[in-house]
Amino acid sequence: MKSFSNTYIFIYVSILVVVMVVLLSGLTLGLKSRQEMNFAADKASQILRAAGYDEMSGKDAADLFAKVAVRGEGEKECYTMQCADGTTGSVVRVDGKGLWGPIWGYVVIAQDGETIKGVTFSHKSETPGLGANITEEKFQSQFVGKSLYDAAGRPTSVRVLKPGREPQVAAANRVDAITGATLTSNGVDAMLQQLPALLDSNRQTQLIAR
Amino acid sequence: MKKYLGPLSKENPILVQVLGVCSALAVTAQLKPAVVMALSVTVVCALSNLIISLLRNTIPSRVRIMVQLLVVSSLVIAVDQFLQAYVFEISRMLSVFVGLIITNCIIMGRLEAFALSHPPVPSFIDGLMNGLGYGLVLVVVGTIRELLGSGTLWGCQVVPQAFYEAGYMNNGLMILPPMALIIVGVLIWILNAKQNKVK
Repeated sequence: MKSFSNTYIFIYVSILVVVMVVLLSGLTLGLKSRQEMNFAADKASQILRAAGYDEMSGKDAADLFAKVAVRGEGEKECYTMQCADGTTGSVVRVDGKGLWGPIWGYVVIAQDGETIKGVTFSHKSETPGLGANITEEKFQSQFVGKSLYDAAGRPTSVRVLKPGREPQVAAANRVDAITGATLTSNGVDAMLQQLPALLDSNRQTQLIAR
Repeated sequence: MKKYLGPLSKENPILVQVLGVCSALAVTAQLKPAVVMALSVTVVCALSNLIISLLRNTIPSRVRIMVQLLVVSSLVIAVDQFLQAYVFEISRMLSVFVGLIITNCIIMGRLEAFALSHPPVPSFIDGLMNGLGYGLVLVVVGTIRELLGSGTLWGCQVVPQAFYEAGYMNNGLMILPPMALIIVGVLIWILNAKQNKVK
């Protein structure tokens, strides 16, 4: 291979970088609308599943979601939607920190304002097989029917705890953490602590709106 | 033509050169992501070989690794964008492993060993064959793991319900990464025994 001058190398690499950047930007812009549609449909299908609907994906989910859910006003993204059993529920978005990156989810709350009808969690980069299991049905189904208030009516939210830890928390206010994923479980626990305050603030915004 | 078929058997990137094993273990719990990953690596490997081969006389050797990385990472980002736009579910399943194709040793290895010193068409075929050789192993391992671990293939139930009623159980170990390592090990053993390389 022949040798090249520094100027040549500098110009060569610069041109190559610019060409690649232009090509990639073009591609990203071209595919953006499709990707955003996919993200929206994915979110819709997750919230629908939490509200008790059957598993569906893609356009079906997006269409159904547009039909049954109405975007509400609030500090965080929230919706009022018709659940699969015909009752009205409110959906709140929660955000938190996992072990490696952000985690988030949507919680569907029944009309009484305290019973959880379903949850769905997502994560950016939790460990597959451990922390990533917060997206599994097995973990999420534990939340169904749990209450955000304790027997005395104090807002406790739902705690994610190892069995045996903090025995004063009643069974109606706790679910089992994931073995081997303590930090992710703690992240979910902390994330859900926002719930009572979020619901309050949403309720107030709605009252003001009225 | 025969010299290009090496990667499918006795020069297989995973089984003989033991490259690209990390992703082979991670994405083979089910057949569908394994096939998509195999196709992605094949596309990136073939196209990067082609591009580097076209540029080979203009690339300054002092910065050739940087130029290679630039080409490979651009292609990988393009593939990732396509997956997100057209097979969203699977792109979620593959998560970080699409991005990690950039560091797949098979691709850099072929660029260094072949594309830099050969004309475009043979380079393209070489990249294609190495990608397919990698893909072949992924498909074999993915088939074994999904069949024995979940009783399904391509997401469809293939082990009849009657088997489960008679007491058959899915092997949970199959869907964990260690079992992929063991299967790859067994495949290496079979290949070595067939070629009688280990005396």
